[in-house]
Amino acid sequence: MLGGSCIYSALAVPAALALGALLRLSTVARLRYLTLGTILSAASALPALLQTWAQGELTAAQGWLRLDALSALHVLLLLLAFVPAAYYAERYFRHAAQAGQFPPQTARRFSALWFGSLTMMMLVLSANNLGLMWVGMEASTLILAFLFCTQITPGSLEAMWKYLLMCSVGMAMAFLGILLIAAATRHTGLPVTTALLWTNLRDASQLLDPALVKAGFLFLVVGFGTKAGLAPLHNWLPDAYSQAPSPVSAISSGCLLNSALYCILRCLPLAEDASGQVGWARGVLVVLGLFSMIVAAGFLLAQRDIKRLLAYSSVEHIGIMATGFGLGGLGTFAALLHMLGHTLAKPLGFFCAGALAQAYGTNDMRRMGGVVRQVPIWGTGFVLALLALMGVAPGVLFLSEFLVLKSAVEQEAWWVVVIYLLALALAFLALLRRVIAIGWNAATPPPEQLPAQPEGRSMQLFVALPLVLILLLGLCLPFGLLHWIQIAADIIGGGA
Amino acid sequence: MNHGVDTLLVVMLLSCFLLLGASRLAAAVRLTAVQGFMIGLLPLAIEGGELPLRVAILAALIAALKAGVFPWLLMRTVRAARTTHEDRPLIGYGLSMLSGVAAVGAAFWLDARLSFSQDSGATLVVPVAFSVMATGLFLMVGRRTAICQVLGYLTLENGIYIFGLALVSGIPMLIELGVLMDMFVAVFVMGIAIYRISREFDHIDAAQLTSLKG
Repeated sequence: MLGGSCIYSALAVPAALALGALLRLSTVARLRYLTLGTILSAASALPALLQTWAQGELTAAQGWLRLDALSALHVLLLLLAFVPAAYYAERYFRHAAQAGQFPPQTARRFSALWFGSLTMMMLVLSANNLGLMWVGMEASTLILAFLFCTQITPGSLEAMWKYLLMCSVGMAMAFLGILLIAAATRHTGLPVTTALLWTNLRDASQLLDPALVKAGFLFLVVGFGTKAGLAPLHNWLPDAYSQAPSPVSAISSGCLLNSALYCILRCLPLAEDASGQVGWARGVLVVLGLFSMIVAAGFLLAQRDIKRLLAYSSVEHIGIMATGFGLGGLGTFAALLHMLGHTLAKPLGFFCAGALAQAYGTNDMRRMGGVVRQVPIWGTGFVLALLALMGVAPGVLFLSEFLVLKSAVEQEAWWVVVIYLLALALAFLALLRRVIAIGWNAATPPPEQLPAQPEGRSMQLFVALPLVLILLLGLCLPFGLLHWIQIAADIIGGGA
Repeated sequence: MNHGVDTLLVVMLLSCFLLLGASRLAAAVRLTAVQGFMIGLLPLAIEGGELPLRVAILAALIAALKAGVFPWLLMRTVRAARTTHEDRPLIGYGLSMLSGVAAVGAAFWLDARLSFSQDSGATLVVPVAFSVMATGLFLMVGRRTAICQVLGYLTLENGIYIFGLALVSGIPMLIELGVLMDMFVAVFVMGIAIYRISREFDHIDAAQLTSLKG
């Protein structure tokens, strides 16, 4: 059947490209390889996406690999983050290579690991077996450690070590959670070899041992939550993002956090069904989500480092998503929409921040100012991306944040409403202050090393495209997308 | 559950205590090698008489990795880092071992509460698994040198593995291999990270890596 082989090709192409990246190439050719290869990987995933769209689901390898609306949506987000990031990486590293900070050996390792992480993320999203999903997640965690530390500096080593330890322990906890869920299947009559297939677990979810599933879900939330950057397990995230090259920060905030959250989402309906649909598992997510929002808002207020600002904003947005998923119903839909908006806006923020940091030679926002005039394309892009991330109407993030709020009001969860609004307002103020200072404060001296040649038309387009999408999606959602997100939300469950 | 399993588990517990009290890095690495070997033998002892090929291969692989490759990698790192001792642990050795005793007590209590053991028929497996996990976490939090933190991670994984043996029999081979491979890569990556840290900072004291804040 054609269906199955589509998934294989989506996995095999990036894997082959990872091997191909080990060939000896000049740095310029290698950067070209990175862009074209990522586009090729995206193209190879498209047939699988289209088929999933048409048939509802797609399985391969005797049910071990499976795509449905939820995972297909995440694959789409993955590609939305990876393709622009690769294109941007070409520019970013050419700049670094001219400054002698990107030797061929580093470039070779970087491109191989880039495709390696793409393959593993794809495996996470297309795995139907929870164990296989974990294997992919852990592998991508480890690969990312090297990507964060592409340029070896004391700071990046420290960030890498913190990340490695926190996320390794997190992953170990998640594995414990999966073992507990496997143990919970003892009385369902599922054979052990197929008990961890998500589809089997879903069908037998009423029969699972509730105590074990609850314990397992907690461990999974702690484990994957560490990876997703939910407070109080987020400490590694700002360090890693501020030390990593911008394209890497972009892919990890644009799709890695989502994928970690996706792993939790897969287990959410299981935990809810097994514990009798009383909203216990959802409650866990709401609490963690709101806590993340508050913590992130606090750090945003005092932030001076441009990349750390974006990193804490990621924590805030993951919090919004977790709150939405926790509320269920309309909230689930809103959270998925928010994910889409965040994946459009956040990588763009990192691209522009990276370019600004390169132009000014620092990450310190106090030494940047009037960027809209001084570094027009990236400066304007950064300001607009931040505005989108603040949830300014009529962007899609405004719509999704509003829908989460609406869902909370409908459920009359007033304490959620209060904390949610408070955190949103704080984060809004913090970012607004920064946007005004960095965008129009003319008192700061212009950058010492302005880019040699002004950016061409292609870069203008590159910055404008995601912004236009954010605006258009905020104004009207195309029916196809709406329907798609609706189906994905139904898979997560909780009544629509 | 037979005597072989119980003996192995008791040795595991003992090695955990020794690990909590070890200040020489080389000795600590050797202790985790012993643990790795025990972990490799455990499935064989649980199976008893007949031995499916799958179990035998996995056991051999686990023993080879955890008792051979990992210690070898870590020993190389210890030599490259030129740090032989954990000089000033964040939590002293005496207190560490006392906490170890407390953890074992807590593990038995927790096991009695959760009633895992009645179901699986093994009385020692789950409490020992909890104790080993606690030891691992303790080492990661209470030690300064990056090597000891990696050893803590390995011990934590060992605990989880024992727990898995007790609760879930017959996880598909592919998953087990994937988990093993990931562990291998993890130790490898951590080894490289330590090597780079020692070259860049001239020490491997993770407690001093605190320049990134806010």
